[in-house]
Amino acid sequence: MTGTAPMIEVAGVTKHFRRKTDLAERLAMRVGLAEEPPTVHALDDVSLQIAEGEVVGLVGESGCGKSTLGRVVAGMLPVTSGQVARDGKDIAKLKGAEARAMRLATQIIFQDPMSSLNPRKKVVDIIGEAPRLHGLVKRSEVRAEVERLMGLVGLDPAMANRYPHQFSGGQRQRIGIARALAVNPDFLICDESIAALDVSIQAQVINLLVRLREELSLTLLFISHDLSVVRYISDRVVIMYLGRVVETAPTDRIFDAARHPYTQALLEEIPRIDRRGHRFSSVKGEIPSPVNPPQGCHFHPRCPFAMDRCRTERPALTQASPGHSVACHLDGGTGRPLSEAGVTTGDIPAID
Amino acid sequence: MSDPLLEVRGLRTWFETPKGTVKAVDGVDLTLERGEILGLVGESGSGKSITGFSLLGLVDPPGRVVEGDIRFLGEDLRSASPRRLRDLRGNRIAMIFQDPMMTLNPVLRIGTQMIETVRAHAKVSKAEARAKARDALCQVGIPHPDERIDAYPHEFSGGMRQRVAIAIALLHKPDLIIADEPTTALDVTIQSQILSEVQTLTREMGMGLIWISHDLGVVGQLANKVAVMYAGRIVERGTVDEVLDTPRHPYTRGLIDSLPMENDRGQPLRQIPGNAPPPLGRPEGCPFRPRCARATEACLSEPAETEAQGRGWRCFHPLEEEAMA
Repeated sequence: MTGTAPMIEVAGVTKHFRRKTDLAERLAMRVGLAEEPPTVHALDDVSLQIAEGEVVGLVGESGCGKSTLGRVVAGMLPVTSGQVARDGKDIAKLKGAEARAMRLATQIIFQDPMSSLNPRKKVVDIIGEAPRLHGLVKRSEVRAEVERLMGLVGLDPAMANRYPHQFSGGQRQRIGIARALAVNPDFLICDESIAALDVSIQAQVINLLVRLREELSLTLLFISHDLSVVRYISDRVVIMYLGRVVETAPTDRIFDAARHPYTQALLEEIPRIDRRGHRFSSVKGEIPSPVNPPQGCHFHPRCPFAMDRCRTERPALTQASPGHSVACHLDGGTGRPLSEAGVTTGDIPAID
Repeated sequence: MSDPLLEVRGLRTWFETPKGTVKAVDGVDLTLERGEILGLVGESGSGKSITGFSLLGLVDPPGRVVEGDIRFLGEDLRSASPRRLRDLRGNRIAMIFQDPMMTLNPVLRIGTQMIETVRAHAKVSKAEARAKARDALCQVGIPHPDERIDAYPHEFSGGMRQRVAIAIALLHKPDLIIADEPTTALDVTIQSQILSEVQTLTREMGMGLIWISHDLGVVGQLANKVAVMYAGRIVERGTVDEVLDTPRHPYTRGLIDSLPMENDRGQPLRQIPGNAPPPLGRPEGCPFRPRCARATEACLSEPAETEAQGRGWRCFHPLEEEAMA
């Protein structure tokens, strides 16, 4: 706990992607012979705070910008506008040693360990490279440090000389975790880190992350499309839709008292083994393209409660109760309480 | 007729590799009636997809169905001629793959592909085939089918592409559909839309459906019957209620227990220790033995299936029925 500033503060961040144009295209555009390339609105005025020691679950469907937000928070992508602050300092303005320290203190664990681990390197080099290059351990001590890290994530240190392909999917993800931990970060971003794993292995890796979080006092941003995993691991949940945050609340509030119609639809669609012969009836329609998002509230074309206002005016993120904010025009700008929405929540078990 | 829609007995599909024989499917029995949805559940490498491919005669060398009996409405498919199989596939039995681009040709308009499929099995004019294709697109919920029928696969989103693949599977109103993880790559709201269509269609058309998936949650909500596969064998089967409410095999119990929704926050997730055995290094006896808390010396020999009226499990030390909460 370091005073009042949150560890991570994302303030009004917008991120656009646009295809690079070559000289000929730029000339053609100038004389009106070509149109400007389309812009992808990946993040649209997103604000988010993460307190030290907190586990924040970031949930959304493909194309909602959750991975882009993760990369922006890690400082891997520059923002188009807005700012990301770490411990109160704008990370875009950090220079030299301070910038390097920030980058080491924030690490990402990716979804597919096979594409994020160099297949031609041994595990000892994959895990040991960063701490050696950054002078965190002496060359002579690298091996011992790697073995310690492998033990920490539940890998047999005797396997340090093997290559990634010689490991199973769950073990590879452990290698990815060990590599991230090798530079002593205090903040981990897990980007769909367990999505590709089988159920029984997924449970092992979640347990590992929970244990590491406690042992190493880590702060986590847990990005996932899977609400059931996020419910288990997170203290607070942020729901994104098409580049915007639509709802954020402590985990039990999201599951017991969600207010945004999109969150409610997501909750309704969590596959659950205790709900037999379920009649699937989801929100209608497709997720719109971030190249050409709808006017007003992005969710209005699929929302069963959409009003005229929703088609033109963007709802602001408004506090419904302490710690619980919603971006929806219903009920005075705080969405529609779950109990009124006709959503059967009786079968969602109480969270202690 | 008393012949079930599909009856499989003792199916073994093996792959001969330089390092040894991979017994991907090693003695699988299945029965499916009309209007039933069977969820075939397993983790990667359990042989669930190869089981699906074997039923349609789609296993490529070095893989081979070495043993077993596959009967579709009483007809023996293993000894059927390639020509007969081609008649059945796409017509009476259809398959939906995880990746719709496995079904769709990227350089042909979807209408062209669908008309071709219709005319492969029915002597109809192009215009009739096109009308049939259009109706199928409408049935799976594709908006503006009259315009979309002339689009190319890349002009559809992932969810829409999967709907097109399902529409193609439905063209001839098949008796049996084998679906191999068709919604795994889709977002939850899109997955839910497709599950809803599939549910309605099986109910209305009386098809049999085999839904291959790793997701117990989806299977629990969609299927009537469940078969759980581990290391090439079905280790437990029964109705959805039987298998998910009172699992008898420790592996099934472990799978259910490791679902995050089944666990309390703040408690460690109940996990199955270890990894699934590699296909070439399966242990002697019960393949789940090294990961099982109930294993004893008896498990060094292979457990036979204890079976009664479609409810079965392969375990020497099954869980008690009343041990379930």
